[in-house]
Amino acid sequence: MAEKKIILEVQNLTKYFDTPKGKLHAVDGVNFQIEEGKTLGIVGESGCGKSTTGRTLLKLLEPTAGTILFNGEDITHYSRAKMRKMRTQMQMIFQDPFSSLDPRQSIMQLISEPIKEHKLLKSKAEIEKRTLELMDTVGLARRFVNSYPHELDGGRRQRIGIARALAVNPKLIVCDEPVSALDVSIQAQILNLLKQLQRDMGLTYIFITHDLSVVKYFADDIAVMYLGQMVEKAPSKEIFEKPTHPYTQALLSAIPIPVVGKDKPPRKLLRGEITSPVNLPDQCRFLKRCDACQQCCQEGANPQLVEISPNHFVACHIAK
Amino acid sequence: MMSEKKTVSVENLNEYKGRSLAQETWRRFLKNKGAVVGMIFMVLLLVLACAGDLLYDYNAEIINMNIPEASLAPSLEHLFGTDQLGRDVFARVVYGTRYSLIIGVGSVAVGLIVGLITGSLAGFYGGMWDQLVMRSNDILYSIPNIMLAVVIVQVLGTSIISLVIALSISSATSFAKITRAAVMTIQGQEYVESAYAMGLPTWKIILKHIIPNCLSPIIVQVTLAIGSNIIAASSLSFLGVGVPIPTPEWGTMLSDGRQFIVSEPWMCVFPGLAIMLTVLALNLMGDGLRDALDPKLKR
Amino acid sequence: MSENILEIKDLVVHYETDDGCVKAINGLTFSVGKEKTLGLVGETGAGKTTTALSILNLVPNPPGVIKGGSIELDGKDVLQMTDKELEHMRGNDVAMIFQDPMTALNPVLTVGEQIAESIMLHEHIPMKDAFERAKEMLKMVGIAESRAYDYPHQFSGGMRQRVVIAIALACQPNFLIADEPTTALDVTIQAQVLDLMKDLINKNHMSMLLITHDLGVVAEVCNDVAVMYAGRIVEIGTTDEVFNATRHPYTEGLFDSLPNLKEQGEELVPIKGMMPDPMRLPEGCTFAPRCPYATEACTQTVPELRKVGGTHFVACHAYDDPSFRLRRNANG
Repeated sequence: MAEKKIILEVQNLTKYFDTPKGKLHAVDGVNFQIEEGKTLGIVGESGCGKSTTGRTLLKLLEPTAGTILFNGEDITHYSRAKMRKMRTQMQMIFQDPFSSLDPRQSIMQLISEPIKEHKLLKSKAEIEKRTLELMDTVGLARRFVNSYPHELDGGRRQRIGIARALAVNPKLIVCDEPVSALDVSIQAQILNLLKQLQRDMGLTYIFITHDLSVVKYFADDIAVMYLGQMVEKAPSKEIFEKPTHPYTQALLSAIPIPVVGKDKPPRKLLRGEITSPVNLPDQCRFLKRCDACQQCCQEGANPQLVEISPNHFVACHIAK
Repeated sequence: MMSEKKTVSVENLNEYKGRSLAQETWRRFLKNKGAVVGMIFMVLLLVLACAGDLLYDYNAEIINMNIPEASLAPSLEHLFGTDQLGRDVFARVVYGTRYSLIIGVGSVAVGLIVGLITGSLAGFYGGMWDQLVMRSNDILYSIPNIMLAVVIVQVLGTSIISLVIALSISSATSFAKITRAAVMTIQGQEYVESAYAMGLPTWKIILKHIIPNCLSPIIVQVTLAIGSNIIAASSLSFLGVGVPIPTPEWGTMLSDGRQFIVSEPWMCVFPGLAIMLTVLALNLMGDGLRDALDPKLKR
Repeated sequence: MSENILEIKDLVVHYETDDGCVKAINGLTFSVGKEKTLGLVGETGAGKTTTALSILNLVPNPPGVIKGGSIELDGKDVLQMTDKELEHMRGNDVAMIFQDPMTALNPVLTVGEQIAESIMLHEHIPMKDAFERAKEMLKMVGIAESRAYDYPHQFSGGMRQRVVIAIALACQPNFLIADEPTTALDVTIQAQVLDLMKDLINKNHMSMLLITHDLGVVAEVCNDVAVMYAGRIVEIGTTDEVFNATRHPYTEGLFDSLPNLKEQGEELVPIKGMMPDPMRLPEGCTFAPRCPYATEACTQTVPELRKVGGTHFVACHAYDDPSFRLRRNANG
């Protein structure tokens, strides 16, 4: 096997928003790296900063602090113009297939737009041919080439979004909840498609979702986020077999499992709700909802990720 | 059934031609009877405005006095009667179309350009631009339109050009407001972010994705603004600060005829009707366009 | 038939639009037992929400037209009721919880006032007493009484859904319709709300129709489950029967599409194709074009529900052949 190549490394990535109420800690010192051809799942509930992480590392939002290394190249302070060239290598698939496509453009225009923009192909015939090929790749019947997004259903629209991302032959794709707006049967079609594309093209994915079951199927590594921080990060199997952070445990047990009458682990209900990420004190952020909370948690500072077993990182005072 | 069609050579893209967005909009527009009537009326007016010179000689028939035939009631010879100076009211109303349209369309066009630019700057960049544009807008808004126009016309002298400039100012403020709101809404849409992620430069995003998507409220506003500016122009003429006499502008004719409104009502009824019908037609068209352009009505 | 609180028979609801007739519900038959919770499962466009609106006789008309069938609620046909009877029925006998808790609440009234209003309307007691009751209701759904004076925007999504539940239960209805009550909520909050609902239903001896797309939620909360496809029930039975002895190919497809039953790396088996356009439903069984088991016969006639076990019914032609088994069952 060839040596593992780190395609993306993020160090201390931080994004604060200024709000009238104070500093909103959207992403607060996130570290991770990802190997080429692998999938990192970022999981969390609404407001945990997972989407902001995805957008910041693509530099759709300017990071407040931290470093982003793409293929060893520090892109943190690249200007918009310089970033534009990088866009052929890093792409994004959006959550909402309804609002992420310009309603006034035909499928042909939508898919060929990135090809034209980056001048990957010159003649009109070549561009059209490539567009049709891309439609084949994502399983979109060619007869839709002159249709408009509003004429298609959610699943087909999401395929357009995927074709647009693939058009520039990227190495890394950030998938922001790509299936959460779709019905279960369509969701499975799209997940299978993404997986097959990864096998065929050696893509690297960062898969952002609120649904642990989706990443279980999909990701090699999983990072769980809570209020802007990673609270646990481990290989997928490990997270499901040995969830260590109390929040991960609660998240796992909250998933309603479609099984009746067989052995089900007892549910562990979390109390309270996610607190506001504005002006956070230097303290464990899960403190108020945590059952395992002890004296050391009350007094201690905000816990950082610690490696408790190979490749398994947890940010918790108690879990060791 | 469909499967046969699918295997046909795929190289010819036109095979898959569906109805384009423009066709779809047109089809829905045609469904609205009021809008179609309005549109036909406007086309007719446009033809009349262009053909005015072919039908009548300006000096001989439009402004030349003909005292012997003064103040005749409508008859076959003079469909709308004649005015106190013996000029045929029908000829003057027909000829006057061009002035009303030039003033209406011209003032809206100037207002639209200014409003689009300032509004999209304010909407897209926000911050200082937004403050600058919107606060000066607020100032202009707080002065009654007619008063502002009277002042401007007084300063620039009475002519069609100064009338167009005066009226374009109030249009510009409302276009700027609409554009700003539309740009701000569309900027928040994911497809704009998607265009950034695709690597498009900002100016292309504004031109290709933002402006086309905020056009529909603006197009509707254009038709409505033409109507209201025609009325405003007529009011100014009526007040005596509009188009100078003897130009056959509808508002001026209305103002002229008002002394005879009891004895010879045709002198102001017909220009008044012309104004009313034009504005009505434009409003009907505007309503039809609004419905046709609304993507929510798509099935 | 007094053991059922709700009985729907051969219900047909169409929406007549300019572009054509949307066949939302095409001969729907099912019932909900007293003190039972039935999960109505289906994907977008299956007609779940139209079913809920029909039960309250709230289908927007035009364009919606109830073309036939009957809906008996506690023995009385909803479709034959006068306006006055309907008004009395909604709220007193039946309450509904919607998906989006924000749009279901009035932003200019405090939550206490909103709960009290609903109590006053149905029980004709003075405002002061009603407000006291409202506070009790809030306590029941796990919200501090002092928050009765707060406005909806001061609550988070999960809290708002609790308030909506409190309003729905304020008049002690004996039947509750919940349309995707937890879809807009985060998983951990969803678990809390489901737990609360289950608890309240049991305590108050109520029956519930729970509309959802999530089979996991059904397994968690329901006694019975009905699977809906293109306006018809394709499979109905107890959760045990449907989950552990699945009979309909569509139900099987739904289970195979779920990622959480799979091990990592295993391929999902999606249902091919899309939901049919409700304006142009295919002839015969509406699922036939997507069904891996479909035969010639499936495109001819619409299959009727047939009994395949205790309370287990399925609408599928494949069972004309008594030896037919789904792949899922064949493997054990």
